[in-house]
Amino acid sequence: MRTLIVAFINLYQKWISPAFPPRCKYYPSCSSYAASAISHYGLRGVAMSIWRLMRCNPWSHGGVDYAVDPTKTLKNIDKTIVGVN
Amino acid sequence: MDAILNPLYSFVSGVIVLIHKALTPIFGFDSGVTWTLSIVGLVVLIRIILIPLFVKQIKSQRALTALQPHMKAIQNKYKDDRQKQSEEMMKLYKEHKTNPLASCFPILAQAPIFFALFTVLNGIAAKTDAGVSAPIARGFLKGEYLDSAAQATFFGAKISQSFLGSTDTTVKIVTVILIFIMSATTFTTQRQLMVKGMPKMDSSNNMMLQQQKIMLYLFPVIFAVSGVNFPVGVKICWSTTNLRTAGQQF
Repeated sequence: MRTLIVAFINLYQKWISPAFPPRCKYYPSCSSYAASAISHYGLRGVAMSIWRLMRCNPWSHGGVDYAVDPTKTLKNIDKTIVGVN
Repeated sequence: MDAILNPLYSFVSGVIVLIHKALTPIFGFDSGVTWTLSIVGLVVLIRIILIPLFVKQIKSQRALTALQPHMKAIQNKYKDDRQKQSEEMMKLYKEHKTNPLASCFPILAQAPIFFALFTVLNGIAAKTDAGVSAPIARGFLKGEYLDSAAQATFFGAKISQSFLGSTDTTVKIVTVILIFIMSATTFTTQRQLMVKGMPKMDSSNNMMLQQQKIMLYLFPVIFAVSGVNFPVGVKICWSTTNLRTAGQQF
């Protein structure tokens, strides 16, 4: 299920989103946020994504807002690479 | 699902009926002009409701000139890392409490309204399996209003008929012209957006540019293919939206 939703988001990013000017006030964009939130947290990620879309409104100031702390994931990648080596 | 959609149907059909009531003394109850302007009026009204949002966006875009030096500095600092660039840019916007981007929510909020509008207009065009016109009442569009809408014409073509659902030559000609307008306006609007965005594009964005180019030609094709099934009324609404977006670009 997670993979399916993420696949739909990827499809949107690849084929639908490029047709319109960028609009998201956040980094990463709402769709990237949703993809990583759902693949990491499942159902909770869905709720997080909806909340993020609600926050991406005309009155918000946007900003940097990750679903999954990138420093943590980077460390994990480092570990696995070290492990492989 | 109906609990969410029914209020939307009521809103959309209520506005159409109200505009129709206001225009009846001028053009007549059964006139196609009255019905066409009612559909166009709804699209215009939704746009008027959204004007404060656009004003807000334009204001924050103006405020950006003050941030120009900061933005240049970021672009130079992270020349080779576009991701880091946009991350720092977002930080800057937040710090200065101004954000030129339109945000995601408004377009999502509009989608159900347009869906409701399509359903209401499609309801006018509903037919039995035998092909006999059997309009479905939704919201306030019922009784004599529904019967009148089902018979109303746009340049001689019934607004309830579609290219595939009719043998009438007038309907075929009108639908083809409307499909052409829809495709052409989408094409020009998108191309202008592309040209405007061009200076920001560099080699790292080549793939995105490539996809944008494909979409540029794909959208008109999608309209042409799906358009044959939509009734004239839906196409009027769609063309109005497109023409307005295209007009905004100039």
